[in-house]
Parts: sequence; C-alpha cells; structure tokens
Amino acid sequence: MTVTTAWALLIALSAASTLLAASGLQGAAFTVAVLVLAGWKSRLILGRYLGLAVAPVWQRGFDWILALVLILFAVLALAA
Amino acid sequence: MTAPTPTRPQDQPSVLDSLPGELMMWVLILSELAVFGAGLAAFLAVRITDPAGFAEAQTHLHRTGAGINTVVLVTSGWLAALAVQAAEAGRKVRLRGLLALASALGVVFLVLKGSEYADLARAGIGFETHAFFTFSYLLTGFHAAHVIAGILLLGLVGALATPRAVETGAAFWHMVDLVWVLLFPVVYLL
Repeated sequence: MTVTTAWALLIALSAASTLLAASGLQGAAFTVAVLVLAGWKSRLILGRYLGLAVAPVWQRGFDWILALVLILFAVLALAA
Repeated sequence: MTAPTPTRPQDQPSVLDSLPGELMMWVLILSELAVFGAGLAAFLAVRITDPAGFAEAQTHLHRTGAGINTVVLVTSGWLAALAVQAAEAGRKVRLRGLLALASALGVVFLVLKGSEYADLARAGIGFETHAFFTFSYLLTGFHAAHVIAGILLLGLVGALATPRAVETGAAFWHMVDLVWVLLFPVVYLL
C-alpha cells in the first residue's frame, strides 16, 4: 500500500466517523464503532506514514499497545 | 574446503535495527502517546461522575470544525510522508514544497482550533467552567502546542533538506497526527 492509498483510506475513515456522529447512533454500538475507526486510522498512520509496516515485530507491539489503550477508553466510556 | 565462519551474536542484526527512523523519535512518540493516553483516560474516568454535564458541555465544541481538522492533519501527514520520499530521491525543491504545504495545513488546523477557543471565550466558557473544559483545554491546548512545534520543526528540516532530518521531522509530525486521531473521538464524539 502506498502512502497515497493510506491517505485516501484515512480520509474515508474520517468521513465514516463524521457520518457516524451525524447519524444519531448512541450507546455501546456508537462508542465501539468510533473507537474501532480511531484504531484503524492510528494503525494506518503508524504502519504507512511512520513506516512500521516494514517492521512487523514493532507493528505487532504497537498493535497491542493501541488495542489495550482503546479497550481502556471503551470500558471507561461505557461505564459513564 | 573451509569450514563456515560461525556468526557472532554481535554481527546479527538486533530487533532495534528493524525499527524505521531514529530510535529517539520512537521513544518520544511512545512517551507522547503515554501522556495523551493517560490524559484521555483521566478525562473519561472523570466523565463517569457527571455524564450529563460532560454531554452538555461537549455541545459547545466545534464538532464539524474538529472533523475538518482531522482531514487537514491526515492530509498534512500525507504531504510530509511524500516529502520523505522526495528527500530519499534527492529532490530538494519538491521536498521543500511538500513540507511548506504540510506546514500551511498545520496553520489551517491552528486557525480552526483558535476559532473554537474564541467562540468558547465569547460564550464566557473558561478553564474552570466545568471539568469537561478543564480537560478539553488542557488536552487540545497541549496538542496545539505540539502542532506549533511541528510547524517550526518542518521548517528546520526543510532548510537542512537531508533524508535523515526530513524523516525525523516527518515522524514528529505523524506523531502529532496520531495523537489527534485518538483525541478527536474521545473529546468530540463520545
């Protein structure tokens, strides 16, 4: 995947976040969907912009960190 | 026939060698992620004590402007990534043009952010109006400070125009982008 393809995907995912917010969807489904989109965008930035895609060991490490952070966010958001 | 020379451990590539770019930049990226991650987790933890107050306070933010700012920053990051490729190809004029455009989008981000702060101030909303605003001002203000630092850094590495400098400057800019991608949904959408 080129950085230009990654950028196009990031724009599409950002549009999806905005549409999701405008849809009026609420609750757990909204929270999880928004955070999944954020995780996907973060992974693209790490992998394609910062070049971790060529270092699979490091990409996996960052995937784990990202997943744990987003799960923590989801748990705290859903507890409110 | 000669026996194969045994490979010494110090000759084998370390896992750190596979990490793209400067090691210290990755240490900085991880540190910043930890700081902003802790701040966002604290924001969500305090929200548990007053979900209605946080929801009401959130309506005063510029959600559309923040969405546009996401597009602005990821596009700016794309231009910085293209500048790294131009630097590796030895195309200095192109890399400087791309970094100038990336910086200009950074300024656009700050203008949109500034208009949100100005509207909040006009509405009499300050740092101590509600816990939501204490956190949102701290988190977005600290992020905006990184955007300003990133713009200055892009200008510096554009002047140096070496592949290593441009890669390091772009990595900082991508970190700013990455933090915003995590901050935006937590502060503006949830």
